[in-house]
Amino acid sequence: MDFLDRFSIPPHDDPMLYASIVAIGLVSIAIVFGVTYFKKWGYLWNNWLTTVDHKRIGIMYIISALLMLFRGGADAVMMRLQTAVPDNSFLDAQHYNEVFTTHGVVMIFFMAMAFIIGMMNFVVPLQIGARDVAFPRLNALSFWLYFAGAMLFNVSFVVGGSPDAGWTNYYPLAGTEFSEHVGVNYYNWALQISGIGTLMTGINFIATIMKMRAPGMKLMKMPMFTWSALITNLIIVFAFPVLTIALLMGTLDRQFFTNFFTTGDGGMDMMWANLFWVWGHPEVYILVLPAFGIYSQIIATFSQRNLYGYKSMVASMVIISLLSFMVWVHHFFTMGQGAVANSIFSITTMAIAVPTGIKIFNWLLTMWRGKIRFTTPMMYSVAFIPLFTIGGVTGVMLAMASADYQYHNTMFLVAHFHNVIIPGVVFAMIAGLIYYWPKMFGFMLNERIGKWAFWNIVIGFCLSFFPMYITGLNGQARRMYTYSEASGFGPLSMVSFFGALLLAVGFVIIVYNVYYSFRYAPRNVGDDPWNARSLEWATHNPVPEYNFAITPNVDSEEAFWDYKKNGHDLFKGEIKDIHMPNNSGWSIILAGFFFVFGFFFVFHVWVGVIIAFLGIIGCLIYRSFEKDDGHHIHKEEIEETENKFGGAK
Amino acid sequence: MKLDSQNLPLEYSTETNKMNILGFWIFLSAEIMLFATLFTSYFVYVDRGVGSGPAGAEIFELPPVLIETFLLLTSSFTIGLAVHAMRIGRVKAMIGFMVVTLLLGAGFLSVEIYEFIHFYHIGATLQTSGFTATLLTTLGTHGAHVTFGLFWGIMIIVQVLRGGLNARTANKSFIFSLYWHFLDVMWIFIFSFIYLKGMM
Amino acid sequence: MKELFPLKQVNGYIFSLLLTVVALSVYFFDMSFAMGLTILIVTAFIQAGVQLVVFMHAGESEDKGGIYLHTIYGVAVAILTILGSLLAMIWGYMI
Repeated sequence: MDFLDRFSIPPHDDPMLYASIVAIGLVSIAIVFGVTYFKKWGYLWNNWLTTVDHKRIGIMYIISALLMLFRGGADAVMMRLQTAVPDNSFLDAQHYNEVFTTHGVVMIFFMAMAFIIGMMNFVVPLQIGARDVAFPRLNALSFWLYFAGAMLFNVSFVVGGSPDAGWTNYYPLAGTEFSEHVGVNYYNWALQISGIGTLMTGINFIATIMKMRAPGMKLMKMPMFTWSALITNLIIVFAFPVLTIALLMGTLDRQFFTNFFTTGDGGMDMMWANLFWVWGHPEVYILVLPAFGIYSQIIATFSQRNLYGYKSMVASMVIISLLSFMVWVHHFFTMGQGAVANSIFSITTMAIAVPTGIKIFNWLLTMWRGKIRFTTPMMYSVAFIPLFTIGGVTGVMLAMASADYQYHNTMFLVAHFHNVIIPGVVFAMIAGLIYYWPKMFGFMLNERIGKWAFWNIVIGFCLSFFPMYITGLNGQARRMYTYSEASGFGPLSMVSFFGALLLAVGFVIIVYNVYYSFRYAPRNVGDDPWNARSLEWATHNPVPEYNFAITPNVDSEEAFWDYKKNGHDLFKGEIKDIHMPNNSGWSIILAGFFFVFGFFFVFHVWVGVIIAFLGIIGCLIYRSFEKDDGHHIHKEEIEETENKFGGAK
Repeated sequence: MKLDSQNLPLEYSTETNKMNILGFWIFLSAEIMLFATLFTSYFVYVDRGVGSGPAGAEIFELPPVLIETFLLLTSSFTIGLAVHAMRIGRVKAMIGFMVVTLLLGAGFLSVEIYEFIHFYHIGATLQTSGFTATLLTTLGTHGAHVTFGLFWGIMIIVQVLRGGLNARTANKSFIFSLYWHFLDVMWIFIFSFIYLKGMM
Repeated sequence: MKELFPLKQVNGYIFSLLLTVVALSVYFFDMSFAMGLTILIVTAFIQAGVQLVVFMHAGESEDKGGIYLHTIYGVAVAILTILGSLLAMIWGYMI
């Protein structure tokens, strides 16, 4: 029994935990049963699980991201519920620790990252007129590694216990001394595995954007989202190896008793914080730059003007990408490293507000004298500008090292980073999802219901996070599971809780909108429902497997607009056979081995580790010897598909 | 030196090949950051992480390090010759050079293993201090890369022997050579900034 | 036989061995820390450059712009990370 004991979760008095375990079990069984009953395993395997099509991989990323959004969102509501009133006992301290840890990790790594990578997957090859990404098989592997990591992390909830040292996982709290159960091991391995996937995505998209652009599309003629994707992936490639090493060191500390982050024998606990933020601050820009890209597309489309200041947009992103690697110490100004070091990082941090400010002005000037149409995606974009600016301004407040001694680790900080991430990233992803929905599925989401969701989310956001600025300045520390009535945080925390509920309602409305629109929305939306401007709208809705029947010839950054209005000839030439990569189950199998590897490593079950490792090696050898030249879609087949859409373009 | 765009060598002959080579270069730039993180940690721990354990100057020995450096530098030279032989179509010479490269790599690894055992015996283990942990992790990461390279190289030799030189195998061999050179570059930095700086 | 050993690569190899010998001087001669470190930095980066250009053919293909850009960017970020971490973790406490 000793062997099995390690898999049990640490004791909780909480019946809710057991209830949710049962619920997870029942839902999983229901899914398996449902797929079997409707005989969909073959369809699922052939069309989704083994696919290398960037559009389907993108959609799978987005579905996973939405699932994780609800998982992390449930954590958020629980936290707000616990702190809604003083001295609440809905969650105990340990449970609260686990909840805020998983909330952070799930939202950043498995929701936000997946969402932006999903968007890039779907949009970038279409925007540059490519058939797929540079390495389609690797792309599938990226997704499945991400998925394996996400599942591994979620397994911790039912087997062994969730991590409880915060999403930043600071040592020595995260060391074995203060976090005895396996939760942090899960953290290390889940992030390691999905991080490898993310790194591959970075390499893949840089190669794609650099090598696979349609003829005539020079770098300075790329749509803005593609530019943001290029810069983002550049940051990914240089930031993620740092996380890889930091996690490796953490694993060695926890599982092989080294002294990297311990407090004895030359260990330096703050070195983890240093390495974590060397990765962590660029990560912030990895999240927000694609969001900026999406806003640029949406604002230009619905202002019915070309994007103002294209070159300055590009330049500011390039500068952000460099500066993002020079600011990380502002996350621990209070460590004690002295005034000189703090001043340097304080200045670089404030400097980064300049290129960001330029982008804000560019969006405003794009809207200036535009004929604005307030569609749902545009409403999110318009709400983003002032809300994000508030987040940015409080960020500059935090950047002042001496003032940061007051704000550090308070709810003020929590309010700040939610204030940039939610309007910055989450709004962008929802807006992008609505904007590209017809491209993905061939029908539109209902605008009326969409606007209901919008108002719930925006008001809910303001109500839940603005009070935290005040309680934070009044001294409420973050990550405390409760507070006394005398502190006076009660009323504002209650407002926060209501805000969280409104946010939750907003997201449920979005899900209802998907259901409603799936049932009732008309299917004949045409190829250009938004009167859009960039190249991805020059193909059909939903996009056929091969993207473009004829490779487009691009002559401007708004290729589709110039094709529509200025008579540019996008599609010279005629339909030919198209070469496409083959589907393969290799990626999901390899990622499966990684999952098993990670799981057994967490529990020190070396036999399992070795077997899984051999599996990984076997997959690599198989791939090395495999000859796969892809297949051709024949001309006749393409013509038939095109005719169904009403003629070739 | 520029390639003649009309008459590209085999490893560049298809679009996929060019893409693979560029993709691998991007991967190598990520590897630069991977090793940079290890160096970052090393430079921090070498001053502040010694604790009660030994310092670098007390445990480093010049002879094994010199042998390792010589072996790896030479192997980097021979893999370069292998690529050259491949480009002038001398398959046998190419395989010969690759075998020599892998043998030199294996020699490097054996000396490194000897060195690790030596560290263990004089009480500088993974668990001793923050400094020794970083030292061994940095060396170990490089060593693991070399080990991976050995098996990868064998796979490629087998494929060239079985299928001859074609766009696919030439491309793989060239990418392998990039990887191997890169490991040599990383070793030069380890040699200079860990060993020589430590013994200075 | 001779065509298997192109002059450029042989020279590159000899040059890298020479650089190693130069770097070794910091071990055999007594010199200041700053001097020694300077020698190490110079020789190591020249070595890396030799490998990159002579052996890895970084500049031969149509993608050389991208390749150099990535390598330089990587090295720049690497140096920033190393110096910044030293600043935060060690030098900051001293100045």
